[in-house]
Amino acid sequence: MLEADHLRFTHRGATRHFDLSFVAKPGEVTAVSGQSGAGKSTLLDLIAGFLVPSAGRLTLAGQDLLPLPPEQRPISILFQSETLFEHLSAYQNLELGLPRGVTGGRQKIEAALNEVGLPGVLKQRADTLSGGEKQRVALARTLLRDRPVLLLDEPFSALDDDTRGTIRTLVKSLTERQQWITLLVSHHVDDVEALATRRYQLRDGMLFEG
Amino acid sequence: MLLSPRSSNLVLPHRPLRLIAGAGVAAAIAALVALVLLAILAAAAGEPSRQSSVDVWHLVSMTAIQAGLTTVLSLLVGTALAWALNRLRFPGRDLIVGLFASAIVTPGLIVAFGLLSVWGRAGWVNQASLALTGQPLEVPLFGLGGILAAHVILDASFAARILLARLDAIPEKRLKTGQSLGLGAWRRFEVIDWPMLRTTLPGLAAIIFLLAFTSFPIVLLLGGGPANQTLEVAIYAAVRLDFDLRGAVTLALVQIGICSAIIIAASAFAPISASTGGSTPPRWRDGTAARIAQWTVLVFGIVGFALPLLAILIDGVGPGIIEVASRPSFWKALGTSLLLGSGSALLTLLLALGIGMGRAASGIPLLRVGIGAPAYAYLAVPAVVLSLGAFLLVRNAGMLPEVAAPLVVLLANALLSLPFALATLAPPLDAIAERRGRLIRSLGLSDWRQFTAVEWPLLGREAGVVLALAFCFSLGDLGVIALFGTEDFATLPLLMYRALGAYRSNDAAAIAALMLVITIAAFVLLPKLFGKLTDARS
Repeated sequence: MLEADHLRFTHRGATRHFDLSFVAKPGEVTAVSGQSGAGKSTLLDLIAGFLVPSAGRLTLAGQDLLPLPPEQRPISILFQSETLFEHLSAYQNLELGLPRGVTGGRQKIEAALNEVGLPGVLKQRADTLSGGEKQRVALARTLLRDRPVLLLDEPFSALDDDTRGTIRTLVKSLTERQQWITLLVSHHVDDVEALATRRYQLRDGMLFEG
Repeated sequence: MLLSPRSSNLVLPHRPLRLIAGAGVAAAIAALVALVLLAILAAAAGEPSRQSSVDVWHLVSMTAIQAGLTTVLSLLVGTALAWALNRLRFPGRDLIVGLFASAIVTPGLIVAFGLLSVWGRAGWVNQASLALTGQPLEVPLFGLGGILAAHVILDASFAARILLARLDAIPEKRLKTGQSLGLGAWRRFEVIDWPMLRTTLPGLAAIIFLLAFTSFPIVLLLGGGPANQTLEVAIYAAVRLDFDLRGAVTLALVQIGICSAIIIAASAFAPISASTGGSTPPRWRDGTAARIAQWTVLVFGIVGFALPLLAILIDGVGPGIIEVASRPSFWKALGTSLLLGSGSALLTLLLALGIGMGRAASGIPLLRVGIGAPAYAYLAVPAVVLSLGAFLLVRNAGMLPEVAAPLVVLLANALLSLPFALATLAPPLDAIAERRGRLIRSLGLSDWRQFTAVEWPLLGREAGVVLALAFCFSLGDLGVIALFGTEDFATLPLLMYRALGAYRSNDAAAIAALMLVITIAAFVLLPKLFGKLTDARS
């Protein structure tokens, strides 16, 4: 279980203070919605380690995550854009998700691509992939990294309706199968409706369940 | 109490090695600047107080007038050229744009010699006039007029390429709005072009002023005597011809002070980086009258810049080339030039990468400035002054200047290229850190993997540009080698200058043609080669 207990934070020079508490469970998608500027990205940055809270606790199955730098946290992130290195092929992007010198890397990469329903794009450069294909490759990389927590930062915003539905289904099934703790931030009601097991509203720097 | 963290430090990957390497390179460069300055100051204090013949105020005012006029004329001509190039579409346009872009690396010595080949007493124009009218056409090339002409040819072309990049960057929607409003040529320039250009002009003016203020080979060749000497040439003359070390040191200190003041003032303006890529003109064309004006400007521009270079190529491929090629000294100088050019290009790239990656790895503004600033210090310490300081250091260390010469020339050329190299590499390195920092950090990429998988593939073309710039600067340098050159240690520019001094103009023409070909080849091919090798951009 991923649990935040009164994570407090104030942006430099800002007057609004954040005081965030939530619970997210394995195999579930926990959705956080809120208006633009409500601080959804701040929440993800605090969990990922890009921002340091001034007080509070963040634990995963009882382990304190706050002392860990971003790269050591058991977390994968899917951004809205810039989620792949555009100048690299799909294979090279996926390879970056594997530890150096791991054996059977190619098989693992192919298996991950099959898992997200995208075989045959190994050699394609990321900048030639469609928006939906990029998100699938990024999800395949998440599979390879095998981290228990997946953070989704408005990952469907740039996709058309059909692709959006497909990727949503993929995220939901992977979350259930891999028992990921998936935290989605989105201002799209459709995404929240389709995916969320547990919901939070971010208002005035605080999270309200329901 | 609630604390606000420095978020940028956490978004950027943690790279202590890069910070240490960047800070180390910066500290080493700063220490070298300090040593050079100390050597100059110590020499000033230790010299016997014999009367120096240098007239500092005359030299400062002459240099400032020359640089000021160069700046104004170059900006006017450069703006007109950029305007014409932005509007006109014609076959070979890319070649012309590339020609103007190459001005930044074209050695001043070559342009000055090219002017003499066209307008000089034995030049094309005078020969044609004699053949047609029987009368010589006297064009006063030696003196302020010749210096200004050579500077404007180089600096207006450089300005045109920078300003053209600004005009190319005008958003399509703004152009469509202007076109739908039916703006005429002048209103279009006033409303759409000028706002894009005016932010670049102050920084560009500062760079051109600095280039003209510290110009050495053009003034040396076309100055025509002490009346038109600039500080840089006067320092050279004081050391090499008059043995007036006290006078040289005084002039060097004045030069450093003025250049530093210009750089500090220029740092307030928008930064300028060399533009060497392609250019696409907008589809919106101006009316007939404006197009006639644009063609006129462009034809004069091309003739002004290309004719001297063409003259060098045509005059150079003559009997002189066989005679020059038969001399062992030529082959030795060619080898030295190529070795020094390649070595200093590689050193420049390594130094710029070290500093650039160190800067990009730091989220602390003051540390970023601290790591980056020493690289720009050499804008304030021009080539001849740097050589003078190095000359004094070597002498104080009890070494013979000819023993230290190769290393000093290599290092000095690399340091003189460093500001341009850093201006080319630092923005993309910063952009990668800013845009990709989170992803790199969240994936936990190692330092080496970040460089090989992400940075190097994206920087390939810029690395090629840096190598080309540094190689060409070194190949065309006369300022550093002028003090350290000997009979045994000479480069092509020094050999060419000596040939001119000995009235062997055929030899000089052949060497100039060869230098021009090597310069253009390196400038065109190196960025393409490195772009292809890394192949990161579609």
